[in-house]
Amino acid sequence: MLKKQPEIRDTVHNFIAFDPSEQKVIDSQPFQRLRNIHQLALSYLVYPGASHRRFEHSLGVMELVGRIYDTVTRLDKLTDEIRDVVPQKDSLEDQVSRSLLRLAALCHDLGHLPFSHAAEDELLPEGYDHERMTYEILRCEEMRALWRLMPHKPDPEDIAKIALGPRKLEKLGGDLTFSPWEAILAEMLVGDSFGADRIDYLLRDSIHTGVAYGRFDHHRLIQTLRILPAATTEAGGEQNEAKREPQLGVERGGIESAEGLWLARYFMFSQVYFHPTRLIYDLHLKDFLAAWLEGGQFPVEVNGHLALTDAEVTSAMRSAAKDPGAPGNDSARRILERDHFRVVYQRRPEDSSFEVNAIYRAAEEAFGGKNVRYGGSPKRGDADFPVLDRDGSSIPAISLSSVLANLPVSRDEYVFAPAEQREEIEQWIETERKQIIESAYEAQAAEEDMETDQEGEGT
Amino acid sequence: MNRLAQEAVLISLTRRLRERGSWAGETHVQKAAYLVRELLNVPLDFTFILYKHGPFSFELRDELGSMQSDRLLTREAQPPPYGPRLETTTRGEELEERFERTMQKYGPRLDWIADRIANCRVLELERLATAIWVTRQHGEDASVQTRAEALHELKPHVPVEVATEAVQEVDFLIADAREQLNA
Repeated sequence: MLKKQPEIRDTVHNFIAFDPSEQKVIDSQPFQRLRNIHQLALSYLVYPGASHRRFEHSLGVMELVGRIYDTVTRLDKLTDEIRDVVPQKDSLEDQVSRSLLRLAALCHDLGHLPFSHAAEDELLPEGYDHERMTYEILRCEEMRALWRLMPHKPDPEDIAKIALGPRKLEKLGGDLTFSPWEAILAEMLVGDSFGADRIDYLLRDSIHTGVAYGRFDHHRLIQTLRILPAATTEAGGEQNEAKREPQLGVERGGIESAEGLWLARYFMFSQVYFHPTRLIYDLHLKDFLAAWLEGGQFPVEVNGHLALTDAEVTSAMRSAAKDPGAPGNDSARRILERDHFRVVYQRRPEDSSFEVNAIYRAAEEAFGGKNVRYGGSPKRGDADFPVLDRDGSSIPAISLSSVLANLPVSRDEYVFAPAEQREEIEQWIETERKQIIESAYEAQAAEEDMETDQEGEGT
Repeated sequence: MNRLAQEAVLISLTRRLRERGSWAGETHVQKAAYLVRELLNVPLDFTFILYKHGPFSFELRDELGSMQSDRLLTREAQPPPYGPRLETTTRGEELEERFERTMQKYGPRLDWIADRIANCRVLELERLATAIWVTRQHGEDASVQTRAEALHELKPHVPVEVATEAVQEVDFLIADAREQLNA
């Protein structure tokens, strides 16, 4: 009798099934550690329900990416233009690709530091980030032993390529060459448009925070995904679509669900991920960690990394908050007593990021580095994917959808200060703002002129 | 080059491409930035990887996005089936003017590249940029055939004979660029 395939109940996907190779990864120490890494860092201080962990997110991503793979490689979904890019159904390459993709999904967050992204900047040595740590863990002895036990004996370099994708590998300086099929596999997992990582975190975070904006019809979206030749981009461009590299897109009937995903992303970014109170808690946490960690940085050797989770950091914060002489006492106390800094300046519609930063630097100089902090969202990406039109051509989504063409691109940026100094600093910024900005531009131009003069004409 | 100066160079590059009739979508600006850096040593600080349509930089994509967020560039949506074009803004051109000396230094190099590629389509740019990529990987001493085969291997949709033409054109561009730098 065949052994029953194990399953796990899940908040978002109901049941998640996995095979023996995947179970080996799930049972490993690096994966089990994710049970103690909050998905949304200290967001639970703003949204009490946001106490879910990277563990269930990683399982959800594996489930979703398997569904995406099975949909886009279905024979009725493949057109002649891209058929030769996709391995033949049920071939060894097909099986290996699907297995690699699901393993990569399980492993894509293994390198996260305590409290996820919250404290990553400045707390790792030069050249390290959580993606680099993921890469190191995939190649550590414990994981190598697992890969060797699996039927396809996956190469950790191949898993890393898919788990991190080209954007992260660009930062790591790893293998910077992606074949069209590798690029598609990475897109299914970590792509900006339809990556399973993004689909799962939007849905999961939405449910746990209670912010309904993050929900969208992901079932319909996945059903309409296709591997398509890249869309025509220019008037007079070559019409032979077969020569264009493929990417993940949607059928015309799926464009509304794709719009739903992009709107969900927009709302979740401003309402949850870059909520100003969450941002300032992240900054207090970073200050605490810089004071508490040995040498002010996280360990980067694999065992040291795996030994630290949110549990150890929370325990240390609780101790430090009670002891005025402990390193990081002020930051720990601010987090635990909810005495966080307040917003003294919020980016205005007419501001650029450079100008907000100039205001922050000037306030920092005037009121002291300990009393002023800056926090902001990254810029928002553009919806850049093809749509399969009813006549069989690939069209850029942005030319079909006014929703996607008009998604706001502005960033959220803030300057923070202690509550007791809020009024004073707000007034000072209001008075000095114009002069600060003009001086900052002049200083940058002068610095560049000096550099140009020093370099001379020959470069 | 500081970040603002780099943004000014990208604005200037986009403007020069548009003035010469380029579609100036993101792919055109990506490839132009790669070529001007590789051929003419304009110190644009972006890492390029071999990805869609040849050398591509996510850092540059993010920078172009930030510049739109800061209203230094704007994206003009086009009717189906075409992709969006990038256009400079008044605010962007004001930034370009603030870096007058930087523009005096690099402007002629931006003109040089814009003159040569403004009329190229995305697929031509992909071939040229990838031919430079393989030339950097294999060295300028590697034969045209070796580099053309490498290009074909990386981009199977580019036939070897088309790849050969691209490598030959790149050899010509490299020589021409050296003359420009020494002028």
